[in-house]
Amino acid sequence: MNIKSIIFGVAASVVALGAPAAAFAQNKVNLGVAIPAATHSFTAGIVWWANAAKAELEKEHKDLKVTIKTAANAGEQANQLQDLVTANKINSLVIFPFESAALTKPVAQVKNKGVYVTVVDRGLTDPSAQDAYISGDNTAFGKVPAEYIAKALNGKGNIVAMRGIATTLDNERMDAFNSVMKDYPDIKLLDAKYANWNRDDAFKVMQDYLTRFKQIDAVWAADDDMAVGVLKAIEQAKRDDIKIVFGGAGSKGMIKTLIDGKDSRIQANVSYSPKFIYEAIKLTAEARLKGEALPATTIVPSVLITKDNAKDFYFPDSPF
Amino acid sequence: MSIAVRFENIVKEFGTVRVLHGVSFELPRGGVYGLLGENGAGKSTLMKILSGYEQPTEGAVFVDGEARVFNNSRAAEAAGIVLIHQEFNLAEDLTIAQNIFLGHEKKRGWWLDDAAMRTETARVLAQVGLDKNPDMPVRHLIVAEKQLVEIAKALARNARLLIMDEPTASLTPGETEALFRLMGRLHEAGVTIVYISHKLDEVERTTNEVIVMRDGRFVTRRPTAELTRREMANLMVGRELSDLYPPKDPSPAPSSAGAMPRLKVVGMTVPGWAQDVGFEVMPGEILGFAGLVGAGRTELFEGLLGLRPHSVERIELDGHEIRIRNPREAVAQGLTYLSEDRKGKGLHVGFGLRENLTLMALEHYAKPWLRPGDEMRALQTAVKDFGIRTGSLDIRASSLSGGNQQKLALAKVLHPKPKVIVLDEPTRGVDVGAKRDIYFLIQRLAREGHGVIVVSSELMELVGLCHRVAVMRAGRLEAMVDAQHLTEEELISHATGTKN
Amino acid sequence: MVEGRLERARSFGSWLHGVGPVVGLALLCVAGTLLNSDFASLDNAMNVLTRTAFIGIIAVGMCFVIISGGIDLSVGSMAALIAGLVILLMNTMAGWMDQPILVVAIGMAFSVVLGAAFGLAHGLLITRGRIEPFIVTLGTLGIFRAYLTYFSNGGAITLDDSLSDVYSPVYYTSLAGVPIPVWVFLLVAIAGGVILNRTAFGRYVQAIGSNEQVARYAAVDVDKIKVLTYALLGACVGIATLLYVPRLGSSSPTTGLLWELEAIAAVIVGGTALKGGAGSIAGTVVGAILLSVISNILNLTSIISVYLNAAVQGFVIITVAFLQRRK
Repeated sequence: MNIKSIIFGVAASVVALGAPAAAFAQNKVNLGVAIPAATHSFTAGIVWWANAAKAELEKEHKDLKVTIKTAANAGEQANQLQDLVTANKINSLVIFPFESAALTKPVAQVKNKGVYVTVVDRGLTDPSAQDAYISGDNTAFGKVPAEYIAKALNGKGNIVAMRGIATTLDNERMDAFNSVMKDYPDIKLLDAKYANWNRDDAFKVMQDYLTRFKQIDAVWAADDDMAVGVLKAIEQAKRDDIKIVFGGAGSKGMIKTLIDGKDSRIQANVSYSPKFIYEAIKLTAEARLKGEALPATTIVPSVLITKDNAKDFYFPDSPF
Repeated sequence: MSIAVRFENIVKEFGTVRVLHGVSFELPRGGVYGLLGENGAGKSTLMKILSGYEQPTEGAVFVDGEARVFNNSRAAEAAGIVLIHQEFNLAEDLTIAQNIFLGHEKKRGWWLDDAAMRTETARVLAQVGLDKNPDMPVRHLIVAEKQLVEIAKALARNARLLIMDEPTASLTPGETEALFRLMGRLHEAGVTIVYISHKLDEVERTTNEVIVMRDGRFVTRRPTAELTRREMANLMVGRELSDLYPPKDPSPAPSSAGAMPRLKVVGMTVPGWAQDVGFEVMPGEILGFAGLVGAGRTELFEGLLGLRPHSVERIELDGHEIRIRNPREAVAQGLTYLSEDRKGKGLHVGFGLRENLTLMALEHYAKPWLRPGDEMRALQTAVKDFGIRTGSLDIRASSLSGGNQQKLALAKVLHPKPKVIVLDEPTRGVDVGAKRDIYFLIQRLAREGHGVIVVSSELMELVGLCHRVAVMRAGRLEAMVDAQHLTEEELISHATGTKN
Repeated sequence: MVEGRLERARSFGSWLHGVGPVVGLALLCVAGTLLNSDFASLDNAMNVLTRTAFIGIIAVGMCFVIISGGIDLSVGSMAALIAGLVILLMNTMAGWMDQPILVVAIGMAFSVVLGAAFGLAHGLLITRGRIEPFIVTLGTLGIFRAYLTYFSNGGAITLDDSLSDVYSPVYYTSLAGVPIPVWVFLLVAIAGGVILNRTAFGRYVQAIGSNEQVARYAAVDVDKIKVLTYALLGACVGIATLLYVPRLGSSSPTTGLLWELEAIAAVIVGGTALKGGAGSIAGTVVGAILLSVISNILNLTSIISVYLNAAVQGFVIITVAFLQRRK
């Protein structure tokens, strides 16, 4: 089962159920895409997939025009929304909001001007400001590794975790992880420190974990970038007590390691692909071309990646 | 409206150091008092106590017979006592009116009353004879005008006792005259004035009575009319001061007699400041440069050193043509310059003595590593040669008195062993004793065969010291006055353009 | 007499001033040991010193720039870009020649040269171009990082495995029980101290920072010295980068993020005035170690909420600055 089939499954069924008569044949769609700038591997993936969607869809549909704007912060993104409406005259918008609260009002204004709005990943604080919401599955992002680790350790052992940057999204993942672990009283979460989704910070935090804890069975690195730093720190300390390093999001490097079986500690991963921006653009564009609406909420599930299904998540051309 | 002040047994200690040892004297109302003393005699500290900037450790200040303690300058100003600092306390970017009312703004309700402040400013500016718009930023004023703004500020605060610390240090003769006229008017209006200056001729002209302090103690008071300048100087120093200037050596043979000049400059132009100036200085000669502030003397030499954009036809050193694009090339050729602005351009006051001394000749000590031992020996030699008085060699330049800082600055510009030295205001802000030392030092340099150029606003000094004096006016070389014709009157008439 | 007493009083003051950061570091170490006995272990000490090496080496160069009255905000981005370019160069060269050791050696040399060249560019823009150093380096802060992001497509630039195997000992090997980055840090610090205190260049740097006009009038070639300080800092960034690359074997847009602030903080915590004029390399080294000890202690304990980590760092920095404030 891969992402694509789930999305299409959900989308198709909703479209079939609630579709207004497909009377308008081909509408002209001027689609704006507002996403964060490529400052981190994951956001770089977002930018890459958005551009991939633009290239593919514009070639396929003559009536479609896609304009992509990348922003370095919430303020810049809000300004870009105004530009998209006034200068680019968009009638549909796909936005990956920098922050939920700060962008709710600006997005609501866009919607009030009659633009069809699809929000991706971070939900707005007022859902009425959006027409459709497509998001990754942060609960599963914490739950899947927790279940995997618990099972692999047979419900017993010491683990440490890394956190990203203090955000709602990070909290959701950590809470989901903890709630699974509640059922395994013999698994001890020794500590969970912030390493900012950054390789260097993860390296330092892991070094200090290794100094502090003499027996660690598994590390939930919670991100593939952080997992890189974790692995280097373990190699440097020459420790062999750690059996599992669980990253997250399925970067191409980690998936490759998984496929090749190069590192015994990398046995599984959890998907959270930046590709969902591609799906969101494609779904929105195709629905609007037909004058149709998307379901209110579409969740792109995060699923367990193992050696068996890893090939479906390997995109060697993407930067992520 | 005048006030009288009496000091009674004032003692002031900074930490363990006692700078005032029980000073008692009286300033009766309405007089103009010259307060004399060498640097470090305690004049400035006493006046800071009177004006509320410092508080006495012991003793009391009586104002009109009543013991008063001023915890800050505002309290003293409220009592009508205002100190005008040697270094101005003006905010350069604020306007004249804003400066005059700084900290004492007039208000109407919550808002500043700019109109009232402007009117009052115009009134006090008229009183001091400064014809400027109250809204002009202070940074556009020249030094003399800033001085007047300081006095206007004091008047706006209703000063009844005005303390002036070296008010003419950076004024030209004309400006000084104007200041004296203003002091006369203030005196007539009943303002008590305390005048602190190293320039004894000014003290002689302006004051009724002289009060002398030495080493933190009151020494004596005499009516000014009973004293000669010489006697004043002797009282300050506490010993017989032989003549201030060294006897003049005969002028070296001029180039017209076939001798080779040390330095020859032809057609030097510094845009905006100096126009087509040429001069030469012979080995062993002391050449003076006179002129009003703004005549372009300092700028001419800054141009010569490559510190300002300039053009020049020809510079010759010992007969060889040289090029100078920056101070580094000047030093390499054998030309160094002592700036008039000691703290801003002359010395690193935050540095040690050793680091200051060797800065211009550091390559002699870096082989390739610096040798602090060698530098220290050089400092010991310099301290002896230049008569720098200091307790320890391991202190910052800022701990030295003004005169000793100046001697250190001299030692510094002489350290690279130049052939020609330009000394810009070499005795500014320096007490009589140190002045004399510096004059003898300059003579020694000339005797050693240096070409010495002295730029100065003190005409007495140029007359007493130099073989020839070049006078500049409005950027042009107005006259070259030779030894036979060298008098103050001659120099003033050229400098002001009133020579027939 | 009087002056002697004043001098003694002041030298005591400056002594206290000088040892402020050392006292702070000692107190932190005591606290660290009490909180977790592993803190005092040799392994942990080496971990801390090794990870301090990057910031510390950059801080030594930064110390010169700050003493001369300048600032460089771009060092973090510069390190990231140098790392990225060096990796790209080495990967490319590995395709041409079959001598990985030579490739790595060329890469390391390139790193230092590139750093010095970037520093030189800063210096020329600041002196010849007469632009404030804050603005020049704020500009290049963005430029360097943007180019790295462009070269990496926003992802990571990763060193080929074959090269990584040859290169990684530069970071991971120890000589006499001390990791190589610590040795390099030590050498750079000693060289910095000697250059600052025992060469004409070092004296000129202090003279310019203390009062640029006085230095100019004293025939110091102010522009040349300034350019050299930036080039020196650039070379230090290059050295730090050549140690950094073998650690993770990659450079990404998050590499070197906020290093500039850490390096500046190390210099200032170490007792150098931000306005320039005077400073000390030893203080800078202590300052850099102090900063990484704080986060090390926080990682080794759980008594303080992770949400407050940054606050603890802030409190310690302000406390140390208070201990060594100028009277």
